[in-house]
Amino acid sequence: MVDGVTYDVVQVTLLSLYVSGSATILGSLIGIPLGAAIGLKEFGGKGLLKTITYTMYGFPPVISGLFIYYVFSRAGPLGDFGILFTPTAMILAQTLLVIPLVAGITITSVTEVDRNIKNTVRSLGANDRQATFTVIKEAWVGVITAVMIGFGRAIAEVGAAYMVGGNIDGKTRVLTTAIMLETRMGHFEYAVGLGVVLLIVACGVFLFMRWLQERELL
Amino acid sequence: MKDKSPYIGVIVLTIVMMLLIGTIAMQPGKQRLLLATTTSTQDSGLLDHILPNFESKFNCIVDVIAVGSGQAIQLGKNGDADVLLVHSPASEKQFVKDGYSTSRTLVCYNQFIIIGPSADPAGITQAANATDAFMRIYQNGTDRKAVFVSRGDASGTDTKEKTIWIKAKLNVVTFSNTWYLSTGQGMGAVLDITEQQIDKGYTLSDQATYYTRKATGIIPHLEILNQGDPFLYNQYSVIPVNPAKWPNVNATLAMDFVNWITSPDIQSMIADYTVGGQKLFIPNAGPGSIAENHLMVSHHRAAVAIRID
Amino acid sequence: MNDLLRTEELTREYDAKTAVSDVSMSVNVGDIVGIMGPSGSGKSTLFRLINLLERPTKGRIFFDGEEISYSRPDVYLIRRKMALVLQKPAAMNRSVFNNVAYGLELRQLEKEEIQKRVDDYLERLGLTESKLRNARSLSGGEMQRMCFARSVIVEPRLILLDEFTANLDPQNISILEKAVRDFVKQEGRAAIIITHNPFQAKRLCDRSALMMNGKLVEIGETWKIFNDPVDERTRAFVSGEMVF
Repeated sequence: MVDGVTYDVVQVTLLSLYVSGSATILGSLIGIPLGAAIGLKEFGGKGLLKTITYTMYGFPPVISGLFIYYVFSRAGPLGDFGILFTPTAMILAQTLLVIPLVAGITITSVTEVDRNIKNTVRSLGANDRQATFTVIKEAWVGVITAVMIGFGRAIAEVGAAYMVGGNIDGKTRVLTTAIMLETRMGHFEYAVGLGVVLLIVACGVFLFMRWLQERELL
Repeated sequence: MKDKSPYIGVIVLTIVMMLLIGTIAMQPGKQRLLLATTTSTQDSGLLDHILPNFESKFNCIVDVIAVGSGQAIQLGKNGDADVLLVHSPASEKQFVKDGYSTSRTLVCYNQFIIIGPSADPAGITQAANATDAFMRIYQNGTDRKAVFVSRGDASGTDTKEKTIWIKAKLNVVTFSNTWYLSTGQGMGAVLDITEQQIDKGYTLSDQATYYTRKATGIIPHLEILNQGDPFLYNQYSVIPVNPAKWPNVNATLAMDFVNWITSPDIQSMIADYTVGGQKLFIPNAGPGSIAENHLMVSHHRAAVAIRID
Repeated sequence: MNDLLRTEELTREYDAKTAVSDVSMSVNVGDIVGIMGPSGSGKSTLFRLINLLERPTKGRIFFDGEEISYSRPDVYLIRRKMALVLQKPAAMNRSVFNNVAYGLELRQLEKEEIQKRVDDYLERLGLTESKLRNARSLSGGEMQRMCFARSVIVEPRLILLDEFTANLDPQNISILEKAVRDFVKQEGRAAIIITHNPFQAKRLCDRSALMMNGKLVEIGETWKIFNDPVDERTRAFVSGEMVF
């Protein structure tokens, strides 16, 4: 195993995209409405909630991993679902990292939408749901940025993926955890190669999203 | 915004589908066995060598989780693994005693080796045994002439290292971190760190990790300076998790694994496995094997009787 | 009561000041009422209260004879019967067509119906050529005309215009004033206009009012307010003297 590839790099890459992509989508589905609600409504404790959200930008992935690990271990409260050491656990752990990022940037984006537009939208008769949608649409560039940053965080992290995935060949091995393995085994050139693949993949995703933006599909 | 509704529906469906794929499609109907083992075991490549045999014979997939010994045993205690393949006899015996397993079966053993710089400032090539070698490292360490790099992670290797210090009647807790580096890292990283000490670094290593790294040329300053003391034998055992404690484990397949890995065919596969041209493992499945006796002897008495080649 | 809109002792207090204090007035179908007053006299706040964007501290509002109850979840439906056009046009980041169509989309009209009505209003306000441009690229006058179209296309019963022609050139002012007049006179609605421009009040408004420090000082027929006001402060204001 010194020079050989004992596992399929393509499969590892696809799994990375699947895990981090799912976490980004799930995290955005929760984070965007959450951020819009916090940003647009007035309520007691709004400032506190915003501060907590921004603080969670720096939530360490390894703690997210630890939490999911603890909860879903067989010995833990939700162990009966048996999802520890599966991609599902990895998705959940990464989703916890994506949510505050997407929510926080969405809060900032919707707050910056011109107050006059918010008033106009209301005065034209939009109810709460319609008004929120319209403001999100006005803040769309910011919201998409939030999603992209969320994806960046998910695809780049290794702590949570390693802890709750177990780096199992063919099942939970992603690019970041594979790099850890190769380094540990002393295959430095191979680890660097995987690192390059990771960068290319992340770059590719962002370029693709920019491309969609330019064609106004996003 | 009347266009929003169909998009939301599509997205929600996609999410549900993807989460389902995550749990279901990754298991194409075959049985799975979750094997918890140590990083050094996985890194030796032994499992890549023998597991395909098991997978095809029993038409299943073995999911290998490689962590430190301490965590591997914890996985067994928490019911997160079906079977363990580890090398920490003391913890294993306790594991069985506490009822987490009904059996502990020997599989094979390899040897730890004491690694150091070719210059060998502590002169351990002349040491009579491992304990003597460690004593010399200690003396030179406190004299600033040597550095010892330790795993520091309660792994099998780390546990063995600690017992040697005890045997030498030295208290690890008193060691100064100017010469005793407790790294909390895996074997590969520890070898790299030892290499960084150029002409002063010593460590205890398993053979496989050493030979692998030596072959890729990244530890040019390190040589095997002391080996062969039976006290350095490293016993691997296979331990199925007790289904009475954790009904969710795949107990049948786990027992199949125990029987398979101790069967004569696989035992000779283990014997034939080489890394960098070197044979690493000596199979010793079966009751009352000589190696086990050796370990018992050297643990309880400081005398070494027989050497096994 | 035939009033389209009636307020009784409408009051809005904030921590630091009372923006609107005890304003009682009424507006009938076909009226164009002008509200004048120095900056900070509470005119815009009054509009926000009437448009149900804010709740009054005290007082009541009646629309079409019914009292407004803010606890009703469908209070936005009443808001749909009014329109607010501001001084600074707020264009949404989409095409001119989609801006104007927004209110109709909220009400979930048929696509063909929306197309028809939007084209009609765009033509009335001279915006047909700019139909597909992003609204943010329009000039000030064009944008204001678009915002006006956007507000009235939903056929509100009452339009509230807050200094809507300030900063515009005479040609745009003229187009917009004609649109207001057509809207109110020909289609049976009403309008309230906040203006700093006495000429505009005289041109456009049947009745005029003066607000100062949150209070409604005087309200009456426009020619009377300007030529024969009752209150001393009104006289001072319309003649251009400094009034505090």
